[in-house]
Amino acid sequence: MRAVYRVLAYLLALEVVVQAAAIAWAVFGLTTWIEGGGVLDKAGMESESVVFDGVTGFMVHGMNGTLIVPIFGLLFLISSFFARFPGAIAWAGAAFGLVVIQVALGIFAHSIPALGMLHGALALGLLVVALVAARKASVATAAASEPASTGSHAAPLV
Amino acid sequence: MLTDTRPAAPAAPRGRRPRRRTVVALLATLAVLAPVAWFWAASLPAGSWSVTEMGVPDDGGGPAGMAGHDMAGMAGRSVDTLRLPAETPADARITLTARADGSRYTLNGQTPGPEIRAVAGQVVEVRLVNADVARGITLHWHGLDVPNGDDGVAGVTQDAVLPGGEFVYRFRATQVGTYWYHSHQVADEQVKGGLFGSLVVVPPEGVGPEATALVHLFGGRRTVNGTPGDLAVPAAPGQTVRVRLTNTDDGPMRAWSAAPYRVLAVDGTEVNGPTPVSGAAVGITAGGRVDLEVTAPARIELGGAAVVVGGGGAPSSVPAASVDLLSYGTPAPLRFDPTTPNRIFDYAIGRRPGFIGGVPGLYWTINGRMYPDVPMYEVREGDVVRMRISNSSGEVHPMHLHGHHAVVLARDGVPSTGSPWWIDSLDVPDGATFDIAFVADNPGIWMDHCHNLTHPKQGLVAHLMYEGVTTPYRAGPDTPNDPE
Repeated sequence: MRAVYRVLAYLLALEVVVQAAAIAWAVFGLTTWIEGGGVLDKAGMESESVVFDGVTGFMVHGMNGTLIVPIFGLLFLISSFFARFPGAIAWAGAAFGLVVIQVALGIFAHSIPALGMLHGALALGLLVVALVAARKASVATAAASEPASTGSHAAPLV
Repeated sequence: MLTDTRPAAPAAPRGRRPRRRTVVALLATLAVLAPVAWFWAASLPAGSWSVTEMGVPDDGGGPAGMAGHDMAGMAGRSVDTLRLPAETPADARITLTARADGSRYTLNGQTPGPEIRAVAGQVVEVRLVNADVARGITLHWHGLDVPNGDDGVAGVTQDAVLPGGEFVYRFRATQVGTYWYHSHQVADEQVKGGLFGSLVVVPPEGVGPEATALVHLFGGRRTVNGTPGDLAVPAAPGQTVRVRLTNTDDGPMRAWSAAPYRVLAVDGTEVNGPTPVSGAAVGITAGGRVDLEVTAPARIELGGAAVVVGGGGAPSSVPAASVDLLSYGTPAPLRFDPTTPNRIFDYAIGRRPGFIGGVPGLYWTINGRMYPDVPMYEVREGDVVRMRISNSSGEVHPMHLHGHHAVVLARDGVPSTGSPWWIDSLDVPDGATFDIAFVADNPGIWMDHCHNLTHPKQGLVAHLMYEGVTTPYRAGPDTPNDPE
């Protein structure tokens, strides 16, 4: 289960990277498209018929952020119950909490755009937490397997 | 839970402790998953449902106890009886044949469909024929307060017209003004694909020079009457022209002109005492209409497209200011007294994560609840109804009430000081609150939904139901009907 924990932690970290990449692609694509004469208003945003290089970035960011990342976060939290190493639940809980906050910011930043800065900054926090959790799982796995690898030629402890 | 995992576990011998920890971990998993699973299971749709069984009854403080709400189809008048008498002769007849053409739709071979024009008082008969649109079609007369049985909402007022089938709509065009028609079956996809057209009702004395401009985005390009770019309207210099603008898209748009213009009408209703506007744009919400009057030569900008009247006018960039319809024009007496309502409703729009139809997502809420637990606003014929529409969902919503026109009393608590502002489609931005009022004078079961047509699918749809009215029609996966 620790391996599952580690894989989910890395997947969460990877998702942060994907989210950052997707939204940057989308914003550059949008500005480039507008520079080229494209006109965007709310009607256009909603029409699903506005197409430019990067429009997929918006869709990826939205679908990922509201669906896939929360599912990974939930699975990560559940895997932590079975991971059995010190801090497993704490790190997964922190990651899950950050995911919840990120989704909430993704909603409320539409009302208060400045919250978007927090959304971007906390993403890096989630990245770090996910990577630390993954490392902790690796270390715990290595530590757990050590007694076995020492084998019979190791001096008895007692 | 944290302390449970902390002890020096690796050294512990296999025995009771690890087994107990497994049990604790399973219980924790259950605690996390059970609510999610419960919400998911609760959201799974029935095979079919009647709108009369849906939602949370809300009597708005008026007489309650509507017999029949829980006994759909058992009591009361059917929506089928709420139609013009069959013997009423038609004054104007048209047949519209719908076809699928790739991702687009045509009516009588064109997109958008042909404009329907009627003289006020005429009985209009539209025969809708479905040649080959697989999922079926209907026509809804957006802004015209037709009898309920002709409202064209699949699964509420009729069954969707399947390929090879037809449906005859009949209504008396009593309201002079600019309207439009569109499908209300799989509405999001079909309206995006062009299954709509213009509907204009002119007064018996006729109108002066005018033009219709249905604005729609096809392939990311703003089109006017289906053609990208500019619509040329011939006019002699100095001539005034009424331009009927209709926003057929899912989001608000703006129209403006470098030359002064007047806003003659909003959502089909004439503005009282319209004054010249310069240096400001007028907003048109999704599904909404405005009639602008310009003096040729002039150019009405629509953002990526334009209406060019009399060949003239230089392009201009969008002004920062907007016409505020709350204070535009001069006041006039209303035809009813909104200060003594019989019923007062709330329509508070929010947003939260959850499940609809088993699919997780971020969904709209109405009065804090998610579809299908949306309000069922119950009224009696003759009621004066007030409704407070508020929006804290983070996005703008163009709210459209079928079958009625409502007057805007106040926005964010500021009373209207201009012309009576009658709407059927109201732009409600995030953070805004509108107080509107209307007379319940058109019995039936009426949708009251967001006209960003992706949003009803995400739960932003409620209904206004008259006492004693039922429907035999049902919607859902086991029926052909999918009004959203």
